[in-house]
Parts: sequence; structure tokens; C-alpha cells
Amino acid sequence: MSADKSHTATTHEHPQLGFLRKYVFSDDHKVIGIQFLFTGIIMLFVGGILALGVRIQLGWPQSEIPIIGKWLWPGSLGHKMPPETYNMLFSMHASVMIFFVIIPLLTGAFGNFTIPLMIGAPDMAFPKLNMMSYWFMWPALAVMLSSFFVGGGAAAAGWTSYPTLANIAFTSPNSGTGQMLWLIGLLFVGVSSMMGSVNYVTTIINMRALGMTLFRMPMTIWAMFITAILQAMALPVLTVTLILQLLDKTLGTNFFLPNALPGGGGVQIGNYMTTPGGGQPLLWQHLFWFYSHPAVYIMILPAMGMVSDIISTFARKPLFGYRPMVYSIAGIAGLGFIVWGHHMFQSGMDPRLGTGFMIATIMIALPSAVKTFNWLGTVWGSNTQYTTPMLFALAFVAMFVIGGLSGIFMAATPVDVAIHDTYFIVAHLHYVLFMSSMMGIFGAIYFWFPKMFGRMMNETWGKVHFFLTFVFANGVFFPMHVIGVALHPRRYYDPTQFEFVQPLQPLNVFMSVCALCLGVTQLIFLTNFAISLFGGKKSGINPWHSNTLEWTAPSPPPHGNFLEPPIVYRGPYEYNSPEARDKDYLPQTEPPTPGVSVAHGH
Amino acid sequence: MQKFWASVFGVVLLACFLLFAGSYFYAPWWLPLNVCSFGPEVDHLFYLICGFTGFFYVLTLTVLVVGMWRFGHQAGRKATYTHGSHKLELVWTAVPSLILLFIAFAQVNAWSNIKYQSRMPKPDQVFEVTARMWEWRFRYPAADQLATMKAAWKEGGQIPDVAKSWFDNGHMDDINLANEVHTWKGAKVRFMLHSRDVIHSFFLPNMRIKQDAMPGKSISVWFDAEEANCHMDGDKVVVDADKRWELACAELCGARHSMMRGRVCVHESKDAYLKWLDTAAKATHATRP
Repeated sequence: MSADKSHTATTHEHPQLGFLRKYVFSDDHKVIGIQFLFTGIIMLFVGGILALGVRIQLGWPQSEIPIIGKWLWPGSLGHKMPPETYNMLFSMHASVMIFFVIIPLLTGAFGNFTIPLMIGAPDMAFPKLNMMSYWFMWPALAVMLSSFFVGGGAAAAGWTSYPTLANIAFTSPNSGTGQMLWLIGLLFVGVSSMMGSVNYVTTIINMRALGMTLFRMPMTIWAMFITAILQAMALPVLTVTLILQLLDKTLGTNFFLPNALPGGGGVQIGNYMTTPGGGQPLLWQHLFWFYSHPAVYIMILPAMGMVSDIISTFARKPLFGYRPMVYSIAGIAGLGFIVWGHHMFQSGMDPRLGTGFMIATIMIALPSAVKTFNWLGTVWGSNTQYTTPMLFALAFVAMFVIGGLSGIFMAATPVDVAIHDTYFIVAHLHYVLFMSSMMGIFGAIYFWFPKMFGRMMNETWGKVHFFLTFVFANGVFFPMHVIGVALHPRRYYDPTQFEFVQPLQPLNVFMSVCALCLGVTQLIFLTNFAISLFGGKKSGINPWHSNTLEWTAPSPPPHGNFLEPPIVYRGPYEYNSPEARDKDYLPQTEPPTPGVSVAHGH
Repeated sequence: MQKFWASVFGVVLLACFLLFAGSYFYAPWWLPLNVCSFGPEVDHLFYLICGFTGFFYVLTLTVLVVGMWRFGHQAGRKATYTHGSHKLELVWTAVPSLILLFIAFAQVNAWSNIKYQSRMPKPDQVFEVTARMWEWRFRYPAADQLATMKAAWKEGGQIPDVAKSWFDNGHMDDINLANEVHTWKGAKVRFMLHSRDVIHSFFLPNMRIKQDAMPGKSISVWFDAEEANCHMDGDKVVVDADKRWELACAELCGARHSMMRGRVCVHESKDAYLKWLDTAAKATHATRP
């Protein structure tokens, strides 16, 4: 044992590194996590601006776009947004938010930052691989962002890039170079994520501190662990899918190009005809959703984990039903692999398959419900401190209830016939992705900011940010349920073209106004973040009086994290434990007091 | 200040609930009028899910808001020290799973009635739809052709050869039209859906039917209309002003996706339909040598 200890001590004495190795090409998991965090926040604003473009067009279709319209679009278009641009905006909004904001923030930023710290390891299992995982984001970013400036503009076939719209350059100017760059960009993101997930799984299995058994791991770590496994299993399918479309577009293969013309011709766009090749667009949908449905859970499970930790900390109460919480995350991940077909109920897939996918999909609401009930059980009987991270975490729970319940409507195949591809799905996915995942991310930023930078974020402005975000975000996304029930189709450039959609225009205007306010609100966050970085109050080691291991390391932790390798004596949620006499928390590293029996050793 | 955040949550969540429930009472913000015979089943299931989800919305969020109200931080108070309850876990696993299973199996019949080929009724009206960027092309059979197909069709059976051959090949006496659905009141419609270029989706909001048009696939679809909405004024079809039902595209298909609009004309009777078919035939074939 003693030999072991001295070994760990020597390997983690880090020599003083130059600026470049310390802050730029660093293999320290915390620096990499923070790099992912900054990249994600910058991209959040890019994606947000794209969304505002979408909302401006929907609120005031057929009108001149103020100020920027003058120099973006020529007078021949009346300074109005062309439909191709609108399609590009929502396609890239989704692609940026999913692949450059939510996934990198959840797994890249918080996965990296929390995993070694919360399991008591000095770093990731493969620090160099970790560094590579971040630096593979850069070609992805360069390719994606440059695609806005190529001829025809960035991809505009939806983030799902269904063939044949995305496959054939003649369908839209954006389906040429823009689409190609989209595919290449995502390939890079995929490589980055894959390196990350392999690293996370290995680290969590092999590098836990002494005493950190699997069932003493905080929920954040469980969620990151299961998410990483999910990602490692699903990503290869996406990679293959992207490569197949790339081959179709470059080498003239026909994986997704069907024989659609009578007599066996290919497809016809104007005067252009493809050669018959017998491919199937449905094949793309199956492959794409086989990755992208698990990806939906990749985008929520880590937030669920982090929210569980935040809630327990500020409720000053043990997490209710720790094991059921773990099992339900595993349940969601497992079922998540057999529900991809629910995106394709109306696609022409055999309707009998639809029945099976429906039952699996509706049942996935069960583990989600169990999680919700356990969060409520944690809040009930608590002694809750309404800090900014806690407010975001509670908002996560409330909004996830709405997002979860609305999911049942679309899982039910006959109801889906009506509401498929209407605003109902747009409402649902934003309640899960923005209202839940993003709230979780905001909460996590406020929660771990002191550990990342050694300073606190301003609480008052944090609460202002929370209040306005909560109100305006509901103002943007809740009315989408209503226009969805009125069957307003999604991805419509000009909703006023249809008579049954016209009466919904006042709601569209309302949502657009809320969206603009929501956008402006985020500047409060940005300012608070930037100012607190340099001028925030010093946080000390454990500002929230939390139990988990990262709060025993200095703030910010040095390279190698812990001054002494931590030893774990109990689970992470011992708040208000009778065992702790003088305080209302009991850190995982605190040795048991002699004579007091350990009631909940997990 | 402790109760403030519970109130914020309460007010916002209540406002959301009221907006959704309230729009039920304002027709243009709710499900459009349904005229299809399987539509009531769809709407019924929608309301069933509304009921269950509405109940759980109120239940869970009330617990949350009341919990936030009651259990705000007070110095000196201790939170309940508990790690959970097996009994509660069992209850809130078992009860929702029964409800979810019920909801899931309640859908099966309606879904098969809408989409299973074997359950589709024997048609009265047959046509072919080909979607392309950005229009819907309709091909209607001449009256005698329609009669031949109907005669060969068996209840619940496969598509007869004569209909298959009609679907696959254009005929000289077919009536070709763009962006107009024509049928008559009570007629069971069966059509074959194609696409020549990208994926489109055939969506009749008032008939609760949606089906993607997948290039390379022939997809058979059915619906009917239990209300008429038009009459003939000389050679012209006049649609009632308050029943202007629309055909929309529901799958992103490029720049003019939101302009891929068609109109639906449900004639009063088969005779009225045949009368229209006659005038339409004259108009389309007039230019033919």
C-alpha cells in the first residue's frame, strides 16, 4: 500500500509548464473541460443567433428584415430573407446546437471536468487522447462555420439531412458544397466524441479512488458513464452513414438514391436525372436515427446526473432513491436503442414495425417518470437553498415533466399521424433540449464555476438571468404546443400561405418577441460569466458545503487534482446525516467517527 | 423571498396549463375540423392522452411547487434524512407502467385501421398522387376505368391486378390535375403515393391523414370525407368559404416547401363527382390531337 502511494505521488508531480502547454495544448482534463466550455458557450451564441433569424422570419414573414436585410440580401429580393436562407438557418441552428453546444458542453466540458475530480483520480486514463478529442473539434468548427461562406451557403436540408434532398446538389444550392462540408464537419465531431467516450469509460472503470465503489459514485458520474457507453456504441453507425452519403455525393454511388421514375429511372429534378441505382432514402433514415435517437439521450442523461447532484446538495437532503435513479438511467439508455423507428412512423416504413416501436417508445416514459418522482421525493422534506444552480436544476425537473409528457403524444402512432412534423414536435424537442438540457447546463456552470476558476459567479445577476430565461423560454416554446395541436407544419418558411395556419400568426409573433428577449437575456449570463472570471468573490474549497470529492480539492485544483489521493468512506449524498453532529453535510472523504455506526454505507 | 421562487414556478406553470386548456375553447387554435371516419378515433386517443398527461402535469408540478413553498431554507431546521422508500418506488414504477401499457395498447387498433394495408376498406374512389418539387400531381381514372377497378377489388384483399396496372401505367383517358384532391362525400378513397424527386409528405389536416411520399416507393393510403364542401357552378368547382380544406406538404422538400399547397374538393355525391370528372376530362383532353 505504501509503495503504491509513493508511486502515485511521484507520477503526479507536474513540472512547471509553459503557457502554451498549460492553457492551450494541455492534457489536463480540467483545462480541456474548460476549453470545451468556452467553445460551447461561443457556439451557443452562434446557434442562438441562427435561431433568432428563424424566429424573425416566422414572426414577420414577407417583411423586410431590419438593418441586416439591407446588406445581406439585394434589393431584387426586397431585402427579404430568401427561403433557402430560412432553411439554412434552422438546419444549421439544429446542427450547431446539437453537435457543437449540447453534446460538447455536457460530455466534453462537464464530462471532462467532473469525472476525474468526482471519482478521485488525478486525471483521465488517456490524457493525450483527451487533448486530441478537443482538438478534433477545431477542424469540425472550421469546416462547419466556413460552410456559411461557400457558394450556395451552408447545409439546408434539416439537421436530419434526409436524402434525396441532401444527396443531390440540384435540389437546392445548399445541397452542394454546403452539405458536403456539413458531412465532413460531423465526421470530425464524431471522432472527437468517440475519443472522449472511450476515455470516460476507461477512466471510470479503472481510476476510481480507494473506497469509491460503483454504488458510491455520484449520479453525475453514473450518467457520464452510461452516456459514454451509449455514445461509443451508437457513433460508429453515424460515421458510416455520413460516409455513405459522402460517397453518394462525391463518387456517384447510390446508397440512398432510389429508382423513383416510372420504368426504373432514378429521380428527376427539373431537367436533371440521376442514374438508376436502386438505393433507398429509408435506409438513411434507419441508419441516421439508429445513432440520433440514442444521441437524444446523450443530450439529456448527463444533465439528469448533474441535476441530481445539484438538487441533493441544495436540498441538504440525500438523493431520494439513489439506486432506482441509477437503474432508470440504465433503463433509458437500454430502451433508447430500440425506439429509433418512432421518428419514421409516417415514412412508409412497414406500419407493423411502427406498432412495435410505439410500445417501446411509450415504455421509455417509465424510467423517466421514476426519475422525476425521485427528484420530487428529494425536494419534499428538504431544507432547500434557492441558489442559482438550484433554481436551474428545479427548472430542469419542471420542464422535463412537460417535455416528457408531450413525448407520449408523438409516441402514440395514430395521434402522431396528425401531429407528426408539426410544431408539436418542435415544442417537445425544445422542452427536452433547451428547457431541460440547457437549464441543466446553466445550473452546472453556476455550480462548478467556483471549482473551475476559484471564484463565485454573482448570485443576484444569476437569479435575474434565471428568472428572465425561465419566463421568456416558456414564452417561446410553450405556445408551440398550441400551434402544434392546430397542426401548424414545421419548417415552413412562410406560415401565412395556408389558411388553417393563418389564425396562429399572433402566437408566432408572441413567440418571436419572447425569443428576442430570451436572446438578450443571455447577455446577462455572458457578462456575469466574464466579470466573475476575474472579479468574482474568492470561493474557497467548498462554497456549497457539498459532499463529493471535487470539493475536497483546492479551487481551482492543480494539475493532478488532489494534494493527497482521497479515500472514500461513504456515498455522496449524506446531507443532514445524524452521523455528522456539527454540520449538515458529511463529505465522502471524512473518516467515520469511531463509535458511530455507519448506517448508510452503500 | 423563500416563497418567491415557488410562486414564480407556480405562476409560469399555471399560465402554460391555462394557455393549453384555454385554446380548446378557441377553435382556430385547436385541432382543425375533422371530416374523416377514422379521425374521431385519432382525436379520441389524443384526448385520452391529454387526460392522463394533464393529470400527471398537475400532480407532479403541484408537488414540486408546494414542496418548494413548504421546504425553503430555514436556519436551524433539518431536512428529513431519508434515502428513499422501496414502497414508494414500487408504487411509482408499477402504476405508471400500467397506465403507459394501457395507453400504448389503446393505440394499436386505430393505427392498424389507418395504415395497415390489410385493414384498408374496399375503395369507392381511386387515384394516383405524384409529388415533385413543388406540386402535387393527381391522376384520376376515367369513370369506366374506375368501375372496372372497383369490380375487381375484394373486401380486405390485395390490390387487384387491374388496379396495379392502372397505378403503374398512365392511360390515355386519365384526367391529370395539379394540386386538387377530388372525391365525394362518404367515398372510401384509396390512392397510391409516389415522389419523383425528394421526400414529401401528403398531409390533409382535416382528414387527420399524413403519409410521406418516398421516392422509389409506392405507398398505398386511404381516407374518406364524411362532409361535402363544394358544388359545381357551370364548369367551375366552388368550394364553400368556411370549409376551405387544404392539402399541405409536411416533410421538408426544399425552398418552396411551405408553398406546396393543394385544395380539397369533396363533392356532394358520386353523381356530382362524375359530373365534375366529365367537365375535367373535357378540359384536359380538349388540347389533345
